Amino acid sequence: MKNNWRNSCFSALTMVLLLSLFFVSCGQKTRELNVYTWADYFKPELIERFERENNCRIVIDTFDSNEAMYAKLKAGAKGYDLVTPSSYMVSLMDQQGMVRKIRPELIPNRKNIDPEFLKITIDKSMDHSVPYMITVTGIAYLKSRVADVRPTWALFDRQDLKGRMTMFNDMRETLGAALKSLGYSLNSHNPEELDKAKEVVLRWRKNLAKFENEQYKSGLASGEFLLVHGYSGDILQVQKENPDIAFTIPEEGTAISCDDLVIPLGAAQEELAHKFINFLLDAKVAAENTEFVGYLCPNRLSYELLPREMRENPALFMEPSVRSKSEVLDDLGRANELYIRVWDQIKAAE
Amino acid sequence: MKRSRFPLIVTLLVLLFFYLPIMVLVINSFNASRFGSGWEGFSLIWYRRLFDSPEIWRAVQNSLVIAFGATLLSLLLGTTAAFALHKYARSRLQRSHYLLIYTPLVVPEILTGISLLMFFVALGWELGLWTIFLSHVTFCISYVAMVVLARLQDFDYSIVEASQDLGADWLTTARKVLLPMLAPGLTAGGLLAFTLSIDDFVISFFVAGPGSTTLPIRIYSMIKHGSPPMINALSTLLLVITFSAVVVSQRVGEGTPPGS
Repeated sequence: MKNNWRNSCFSALTMVLLLSLFFVSCGQKTRELNVYTWADYFKPELIERFERENNCRIVIDTFDSNEAMYAKLKAGAKGYDLVTPSSYMVSLMDQQGMVRKIRPELIPNRKNIDPEFLKITIDKSMDHSVPYMITVTGIAYLKSRVADVRPTWALFDRQDLKGRMTMFNDMRETLGAALKSLGYSLNSHNPEELDKAKEVVLRWRKNLAKFENEQYKSGLASGEFLLVHGYSGDILQVQKENPDIAFTIPEEGTAISCDDLVIPLGAAQEELAHKFINFLLDAKVAAENTEFVGYLCPNRLSYELLPREMRENPALFMEPSVRSKSEVLDDLGRANELYIRVWDQIKAAE
Repeated sequence: MKRSRFPLIVTLLVLLFFYLPIMVLVINSFNASRFGSGWEGFSLIWYRRLFDSPEIWRAVQNSLVIAFGATLLSLLLGTTAAFALHKYARSRLQRSHYLLIYTPLVVPEILTGISLLMFFVALGWELGLWTIFLSHVTFCISYVAMVVLARLQDFDYSIVEASQDLGADWLTTARKVLLPMLAPGLTAGGLLAFTLSIDDFVISFFVAGPGSTTLPIRIYSMIKHGSPPMINALSTLLLVITFSAVVVSQRVGEGTPPGS
């Protein structure tokens, strides 16, 4: 008898476990907004505030690359109400009809978006996306070790820094820098311009320690590298540890990366998603998110709410003259193959 | 004759190769520096940050629920599959069964992931913990079945017949004879299934839905935009838990003499 009792106890336990699995996945009744985004991209206190004010729950799930997120949504994954891809991915998703149109009447705060910045974005009329965070590509260096720095891409030609510099292992960023140094658009589709850019990168390459996407941060902080091609958001973090690091943006113009707020086709809470976008565009909320993430919300009214050291940091706020020459990386479409070929030639060259 | 030092040195080198990276990780979890570029002093800041971030704990919870559930179900299904494969090994049906069980072990994960996603989408199922759970059971069954099958190879079936001759019903036989004999295989299979499930990234990423981010998915996304040192702290905690679990299970194992 005792054995039977124990057995049934065990199966009952299993049933409870499986049932709880079931309830965890579909037991909630309050409204839910499912946000699919990068890790740590919203200040948690602000999320809580929105939940309280709108009597809903925000569920945040994370992805680690635009491409992985795209593959998943493209295969038909549904249920996400708001996604934050980078601009070039937004254009691709829009071309394929994967995102909904933004309803402007639901987002009164869109007037807060910096009009100067809007001029250089891809979706200028905020038709299907709203810019959320921007980060700028630039050059970071150690003040004590690198003398007389002029803000230009030609810094990578400096012989005295030979073997102590890195550039991105990213064809768009590095070819983009070369295109900019020649005065071309970094979204150029012109094969001749790309050929010239290739020559420039090949020349720079002789002076580089390597092409590097991650280790440049710790390498710069420890003094292994003296001058690196880096993202402003990352450099801001490293600066907190090593105040000797300075950041500058080349005067020829640079690449601006932008992550946008978009509502995917399969969204179930379209209205709540609009409400959340409007909330994020509030000046105070945007300022708090800028402080938390270290990237910049291009929100005109939020700028004056930031602490002074952020307002005066060139990694966050570019000179207007440089900004007007800078561009957001766009989806290349067919020209992608051209870039890949040129980049392969650079990587294969001796 | 003097014994050669060579095996000792090789052993030490291999152990160093295995454990040095883990030691670096543990040490860095107490490093105040965010980028691990140098030692900036002892600090518990990453542990404090870790305990303050509810999203990580939600991911841990998701991972544990799925891993425990998937281990239990795949143990059940995998063991029964192994029995069928062992007992009727010669039949043509079981030979194709063997092939079907074996295939998931060699199919690339990304293929499994994307095809499962397309399957769930085609069925119109909502993605979530359920779909991750089912996917994990799918690949765990194969591993459990293989491990238990190996254990069954040197299993003397006459013991079962003897037990039935002595008047035990099926349930008693299963509990008093089969289970103790197979226990090492079941434990090994279960542990394997649990580890595979808890650190699976590729398949989970594709079949995860809103609100079902697991720990590996969360960790990968933090490497790009978050704070890696928090991951060091979390890994250290997980290490402590796993090591204590292993120690405890060994103690328990020593307490019971084999075959009782």
